[in-house]
Amino acid sequence: MAARGARGGKPSSDASPAEYEALCDFLRRRTGLAFGENKRYYVERRVAERMVAAGTGTFREYLDLLRFQASGEELQLLVNLMTVNETYFFREKYQLDCLVNSALDELVRDWKKGDRIRIWSAGCATGEEPYSIAIMLLEFWNRVDEFEIELHASDIDSHALARARQGVYDERALQFLPSHLVTKYFAQVATNRWRIIEELRESIDFAHTNLMDPGQTARFRGMDVIFCRNLLIYFDDLGRREVAASFYDALVPGGFVFLGHSESMSRISSLYVPRRFPEAIVYQKPRNDGL
Amino acid sequence: MGLIKAGSKDKPAEVSQPEGDPLDRLENGDAAERRHAAHQLASRPTDLCVRLGRESDASVREVILTALVRGASPDAVFGLLPFLESEDAALRNAVIETLQQMPADLVMPYVGALLAHEDSDVRIFTVQLVARLPHPERMARLIAVLDREPHVNVCLAAVEGVAEAGRPEALPALERLKTRFPDDPVVAFSVDAARRRFAAG
Repeated sequence: MAARGARGGKPSSDASPAEYEALCDFLRRRTGLAFGENKRYYVERRVAERMVAAGTGTFREYLDLLRFQASGEELQLLVNLMTVNETYFFREKYQLDCLVNSALDELVRDWKKGDRIRIWSAGCATGEEPYSIAIMLLEFWNRVDEFEIELHASDIDSHALARARQGVYDERALQFLPSHLVTKYFAQVATNRWRIIEELRESIDFAHTNLMDPGQTARFRGMDVIFCRNLLIYFDDLGRREVAASFYDALVPGGFVFLGHSESMSRISSLYVPRRFPEAIVYQKPRNDGL
Repeated sequence: MGLIKAGSKDKPAEVSQPEGDPLDRLENGDAAERRHAAHQLASRPTDLCVRLGRESDASVREVILTALVRGASPDAVFGLLPFLESEDAALRNAVIETLQQMPADLVMPYVGALLAHEDSDVRIFTVQLVARLPHPERMARLIAVLDREPHVNVCLAAVEGVAEAGRPEALPALERLKTRFPDDPVVAFSVDAARRRFAAG
């Protein structure tokens, strides 16, 4: 693969099939992101862009940089380009309704006041999902004040995570939020730019996390609910299995996993029990661990 | 109460790594310990397969099987094949799924012997395995079953396999199967259903 020449033009993509396969295999093993031949143009465009920025002349040099750079910085920059962060507030709201109308009430049925609930938005991209969860809890869960609720959010894309921490969004991201909630939870900072209020920004712990790295996911334990929506579609079968196993370790017995509408844990792992609530199907770690 | 700030996780992990030989920890009484050990043992497929045979915890089995997929070695395939004879349906199905996720080139060399296994159930499971193996020999194997397999239930599994694959090249073999079992209404029904699926594209 040769990057854009000195005279500009479109990034070229002349990686051999073996080279392309080597790159995809490397990305899959290190990040879980799976790209096939059908994504070749998408991948090569981004690799060519990074080759120019990194100053590597050949694909082989670039792959070596990815593999052997001690800091892992170039891999991170490439991953940032590869990941899709298109989302918005209250996306697939029926699942958020399920959280506040059904799942949480079941979860805390025998709990006492003051107990702690831990919710993890895994693959939070630019933060719309964890902030949506926070707003849903505050607005629509009538027991929110009885418990201490920790909200964790993670993503592999460090740029997206920085934007999540910043909490500034445009109109498109807010389009499905009722206007009174925009008024209540956001401050307009520029034309077509709103920033989520500090209280909410401060309530979420954002962490850079590669879900394929057990050393990183081991920081998430005792979770009651995990949201991982529209992320696993970018993983291959093995990556999905690995993530499902990580979530199993992260969850308490009886904890729930929320996946995207086109995703099914039943096709990934037999470890979870599908639960049909009135609003949505979610996946539960069996209460009797190991049975 | 309500939302509270969690302790930051965005810093280098301070998680204590399990100590000791993963092979020893694979025998630990705690399922979480065994899961962690299995995860580390992808390069020891034979040991993982031996443990799989004794392991009753579904979560540990799952991690063992996932590690075997990650290792993707000939030894992993070889170690998994005997589980096709297991009486434990959950384990057997998980193994079939796992083999389907292994490199097809590693699995296909064993298919011939498995399709000749004396137990027709094993042959059925093998047909189910082959039906989803992304390998150029897949259709030829299934068509050979349609033409030569004596047990009707194995043939019916192959009908399902070619129907799912949606490959009309199997149509002549399906017609031949009807003539091999002319008095079996289930064969006729299944072949007709497969033909309709081909027609529907």
